[in-house]
Amino acid sequence: MKILVLIKQVPDDVVKVSLSDEKTPDIKNIEKIVNAMDTYAMEMAVREMEANGGEVVVASIGDKDEIRPSLVQEIAVGANRAYIGNLDVSGADEAALSAELLSFIRKIEEQEGSAFDLILTGKESTDEISSQVGALLAEKLSVPFVSSAIGFTKTDAALIVKKETEEGYDVLETTLPAVLSVTKPEYDPRYPSLKNKMKARKAEIPVIELEKAENKVTLTGYDEPAKREAGVKIKEKEAQDAVQKAMAILKEARLV
Amino acid sequence: MNYQKPSEEMIEELKKIAPGRVLTGEDIGDDYTHDESIFYGKHMPDVVVRVETNEEISEIVKLCYENNVPFVPRGAGTGLSAGCVAEAGGVIIDMTKMNKILGYDPDNFVVRVQSGITVQELCDDCEKHGFAYMGEPGEMMATIGGNISTNAGGMKAVKYGTTRDQVLAMTVITPKGDIMEFGREVNKNCSGYNFMHLMIGSEGTLGIITEVSLKLYVKPKFSVSLLAPFASLDDCISCVPKLKLAGFEPESLEFMLRDNVDMIQNFLGKKIYPTVIEGVEAEAYLLVTFTDSTQENLDTILEQSAEVFTDNEALDVMVYDTPDAIRNVWSVRKNCLEAIMAEYKMTDEVDIVVPIPKIPELINSAVAMKDEVGCDIRCTGHAGDGNVHINLCANEMPEDEFREKVKIFMDKVYKVGFELGGLVSGEHGIGSAKVDYLRENLGEHQLCLMKDVKRAFDPKLLLNPGKVCYTL
Repeated sequence: MKILVLIKQVPDDVVKVSLSDEKTPDIKNIEKIVNAMDTYAMEMAVREMEANGGEVVVASIGDKDEIRPSLVQEIAVGANRAYIGNLDVSGADEAALSAELLSFIRKIEEQEGSAFDLILTGKESTDEISSQVGALLAEKLSVPFVSSAIGFTKTDAALIVKKETEEGYDVLETTLPAVLSVTKPEYDPRYPSLKNKMKARKAEIPVIELEKAENKVTLTGYDEPAKREAGVKIKEKEAQDAVQKAMAILKEARLV
Repeated sequence: MNYQKPSEEMIEELKKIAPGRVLTGEDIGDDYTHDESIFYGKHMPDVVVRVETNEEISEIVKLCYENNVPFVPRGAGTGLSAGCVAEAGGVIIDMTKMNKILGYDPDNFVVRVQSGITVQELCDDCEKHGFAYMGEPGEMMATIGGNISTNAGGMKAVKYGTTRDQVLAMTVITPKGDIMEFGREVNKNCSGYNFMHLMIGSEGTLGIITEVSLKLYVKPKFSVSLLAPFASLDDCISCVPKLKLAGFEPESLEFMLRDNVDMIQNFLGKKIYPTVIEGVEAEAYLLVTFTDSTQENLDTILEQSAEVFTDNEALDVMVYDTPDAIRNVWSVRKNCLEAIMAEYKMTDEVDIVVPIPKIPELINSAVAMKDEVGCDIRCTGHAGDGNVHINLCANEMPEDEFREKVKIFMDKVYKVGFELGGLVSGEHGIGSAKVDYLRENLGEHQLCLMKDVKRAFDPKLLLNPGKVCYTL
């Protein structure tokens, strides 16, 4: 199978983000990393390639110099090659992003000389957490979409996908080509060996110029979550007294 | 010693010195009865005073001295040798409210802080000011005062030295209540006996450290971690001098054993370290971090150091160069003790330092005792400075029996370590837990000399009794 993995650069998600004076998320000094769910998608694709052959291509849209290190990282962990879609995507909504991705994918396929059998995205990105781009992209490509994939197997005629649910997982069958959004499988993404890292650093990554698509949703502004008020400390030492006190507080607040 | 309990009158005096910050009776929480090594028992103090100023401490100390009441300074209680526990009861002087940053001298690369600040708070604040504090041990919730009292080491000690190397000056309240300044904010000092360095590592037995001036560094801009798996511990440790001989100065250089890695990865619920490389099982790992001010320099270091690894039996070299990757690869090393605590009901730790080439011999001797003691043995440590942590761990064993096994195990391991030219503690300190081993290690003559020093500072032996060179 020829698999395309779409990755997104996000601000390091352990760093607390606050609003700048201009009331926008102050992320300029936060290091960028590959979105965690996208790294699972990459690992899933590389495992498939190692087991059954095929190819894995990785691609991302953003400023061409800023996103190159992330694509190098993904080549170092197994992607055969990468493409950069050079476009400022700040402020783009999911509709615009999926349209831009559609045009990007078509241009990659043109350069590759063949279409992709399978496109993988992360289930969501840690910065926006909308979980929409994969589905919208599938819609625009007119191909089937399965969300929350934790694994897949290719048969002669179809793709069998494990989709995570609250209870466990569903087993679904889809035709190809298809788009899957990937969530955390049973395994963790690998880290690069030095040899692969050094080789990846020298990789030539073609840059494809893209045009901005129109937003459908207008962002009216950002606001920080309200600060939590201090809680009530129950100081009673005996369990029975503590429970009575807790119940009294809950009753007073009309929660029970 | 004829130690007295604080009288009602004395407690009233204490309340006048520190209004609203004196705890007695049931108001004293269980946390004050132990440090993180609960294994060494609990001791309830009679009074806890949450101090805020040097003057308060001076008055409290004078009061204790008049009344023959023992007193113990205490930071965050994260120690592992029971150093801050009130073995003889008396007054605990809780330093955690003295946690202010007093000021930066950026041109002199110095920050002045109160000793109750945590390492985490200090590091965060330094970063905001464009600097780095490099004395950070594994435990970031420890106070700086606690770190200085045990001369804490940690993972950056291989490049930046231990806490001792970070301290330039300090304010100390002597056991008689005098407020004194030891050291100065200068980088050289040959001005008589160096009391500041005597205070460092004295575990709160010679004076109470209340303020300190610490060295600052410019935070290195670029950082990369490498993980090298090896087929044996001997191969792994043999690589350490080769790396240093090749001229590399890693910021951190740690070793881990495979069984420990498996346990920690299981605890973390993720697999980060490769365990089989081209069919060969990894048995030990070196984890190394390099930093530099330019990416180009770092790339050169990366390539050349990797050659040293692979020329010296490393099975592979993995690269961790993004913030999340560096966090992940270090999370395995940093969660070692947490994983042990989660896996076992009982554990006790040998914290010993030996010459680096002797690490495998020490560990092999320890691991060879597994059947004799019937417990699991978990080893890890700082490959770059020879400081080894060996935990004896058990679940289904009566506690008394485990204590007997610990004694048998530690007697043997320390004996081997001393024969290899080692010292009883690399960074955890002696506290009340390792006094006998210190005597065995250094001899009665040196212990007597230490006792003379202690008496010169504290003739009544009231400050933190039963620690380092005296037992109760």
